[in-house]
Amino acid sequence: MAILVDNNSKTVIQGITGREASMVTKLMLDYGPPVVAGITPGRGGQSVEGVPVYDTMKEACNNHNLNTSLVYVPPAAVLEAVLEAVENKIHTILIVTENIPQHDVLKILDSAKNNNVRVVGPNSVGVISPSEHCKIGAIGGDNTERCFVPGSVGVISRSGGMTAETSWMVKRAGFGVSTSVSIGGDALIGSTPKSLLPLFQNDQETKAVVLFSEPGTSFEEDVADYIAAGHFTKPLISYVAGHFTEDLPEGTVFGHAAAMIEGNVGRPSSKRKRLLKAGAYVCENFDDIIKHLQKILR
Amino acid sequence: MARVLEHDGKEILKKHEIQIPHGTAVFNPDEAKQAAVRIGFPVILKALVPAGKRGKAGAIKLVHNIYEVYKEAEKLFNMEVSHFPVEQILVEQGVAIKKELYLSIAIDKIERKPVVIASSEGGVDIEEISRKNPGKVKKVHIDPWSSFPSYKGVEIWSDLGFKGKVLRQAAALTTRLFNTFKKHDATLLEVNPLVMSEDDVLVAVDVVLSVDESAIYRQPELKNIHPASERAWRPLTELERHMVAINEEDPYRGTARYTEFDGGDIGFMCGGGGASLLLMDALIKSGGRPANYSEVGGNPPENKVYGLCKGIISKEGVRGLFLAHNITSNTQINVVARGVTRALHNMDINVSVFPVVVREAGTHDAEGKKIFEEAGIEYHGDDITLTQAAQLMADKMRQVYPDYDQWGDN
Repeated sequence: MAILVDNNSKTVIQGITGREASMVTKLMLDYGPPVVAGITPGRGGQSVEGVPVYDTMKEACNNHNLNTSLVYVPPAAVLEAVLEAVENKIHTILIVTENIPQHDVLKILDSAKNNNVRVVGPNSVGVISPSEHCKIGAIGGDNTERCFVPGSVGVISRSGGMTAETSWMVKRAGFGVSTSVSIGGDALIGSTPKSLLPLFQNDQETKAVVLFSEPGTSFEEDVADYIAAGHFTKPLISYVAGHFTEDLPEGTVFGHAAAMIEGNVGRPSSKRKRLLKAGAYVCENFDDIIKHLQKILR
Repeated sequence: MARVLEHDGKEILKKHEIQIPHGTAVFNPDEAKQAAVRIGFPVILKALVPAGKRGKAGAIKLVHNIYEVYKEAEKLFNMEVSHFPVEQILVEQGVAIKKELYLSIAIDKIERKPVVIASSEGGVDIEEISRKNPGKVKKVHIDPWSSFPSYKGVEIWSDLGFKGKVLRQAAALTTRLFNTFKKHDATLLEVNPLVMSEDDVLVAVDVVLSVDESAIYRQPELKNIHPASERAWRPLTELERHMVAINEEDPYRGTARYTEFDGGDIGFMCGGGGASLLLMDALIKSGGRPANYSEVGGNPPENKVYGLCKGIISKEGVRGLFLAHNITSNTQINVVARGVTRALHNMDINVSVFPVVVREAGTHDAEGKKIFEEAGIEYHGDDITLTQAAQLMADKMRQVYPDYDQWGDN
């Protein structure tokens, strides 16, 4: 078991003929279950790393059983790519592209919600489930086992780099991950931490979740409310970075676009307080993750 | 997000048939005087800076006659508002106010929809109105796919107690404002105050327009406006501009962001976005004093690493270098090592008396380790954590500078 991606994922890559997308196609093929098809309008009939390319999603779906899409098209084309995937009954869409116009993202998220489609990203590095040997996106690069080994800890992070580093900390503590999710660095994203908690709650493999957080958004406040209401009962270990930003003038953006402090919303100190009150394990130092995991899981 | 200066925002509203006060932007007190005479007194002088709360900062002046206008304009041109020097001011016709209202459209990131906020009171912060008088504020979410239903505009202002001609006018204005918001990929379009003049005409007296930088490619009208970035709380320093130039030389390979702090003695060369936040906290907690903030990542070429490293070290007072990243899957550590060691060599840095701590793990790190060690630099990869690396940096500063902990006191 795992969440979002597993052995049943039948993946199609939208924009597969691009430089980065072709590279990722190879990385994914090397790691686990095959990438089934790719889409690039005008390139139908070609192949990338042995994966057949189609002009349209409709054609790809006529030829293959597909349920998961990885979106690698340029910012201006993402909205159309997502609508095409939704119309063709793809149920999980991971958007790697960053810098998508916000008005387009609003439409993407609205359409996904109305059609019961799960969107991860924009600006996600990927999702990986090591016990199923399955990943979508560049996550882990060509040395996946360095950070991601099978285990019982779920990892959620806005930062792609910290998805890897946090999963590596789990490994250093002597454990592994069930699924690690890079949710994307923007404020407008398809899968907020709170929206992933029910999946981790229902996943038998997952015994605890580590959440790496940054300033800005109400994501952690929402998680705290969700735990306090009794909906998530597994241990949640939290580390909130960016305390130094509280001493800077308002409106300063550090780290990701979402890491903006507006008034009192999104302050690391208040996020920590809320999570602590809700019963989460809140780390003073990032290294405390190891200590907490060893206490909880042994 | 990028904030468009007020006069440019107003020109855009004018094109959408929203009434704005008669006015003109000027570059010196003489021009201000001429403009005021042409417009007729009283006039309002407003500093054109990409920052809010100008009224509270004294950057908006009401001027009644020709004798005051030069003097007041001169005062504004000598001001800094939120650290921004005043280079332009807007000279505007004073509008006779019967009533001040509020109207804005923004992206509600929690509901993930555009939201229209209107109030029968204006001129002060909407948060304040909302707190004191929640009944006087209407908040309506709009489907991101649809255009603005005109009946919604009527509903909003009718609920706020408006009738007759003013109601119809306010409703029509709300539709136009929403169309402007959508057409220009705005993230915020706020009119505060929206003034009802003595003769019952609605005038957009103060306008804040923030547009989405990611959508500039499809906004030909905004291309010439040069929106001021909201990333900083003050204009960029010389060193920051230099770092932007280094990044732009090869804009598609790797990113390098640099923000200078007042004081500090440790050059901070870290990444990516999340790890930098963590490392900054950890370094400060260990007693270190970073001289800057940075985010370096995405596999930058050697020259970018070299230029950035030189820039970080060149800041006055920098006496050590902290180089650390999360475990990366794409940044090539050997390339980083070559850029950094070349910069240190070029700056004649003696690493036995200038503390350098490296924590770099990822692609080609075995070769990177060799390059660092050959240059006499202590290398760490995934043998230590990020937190341990930050502690090591602070410890090394204390070791090389025995009075390090006392520096901060003077």
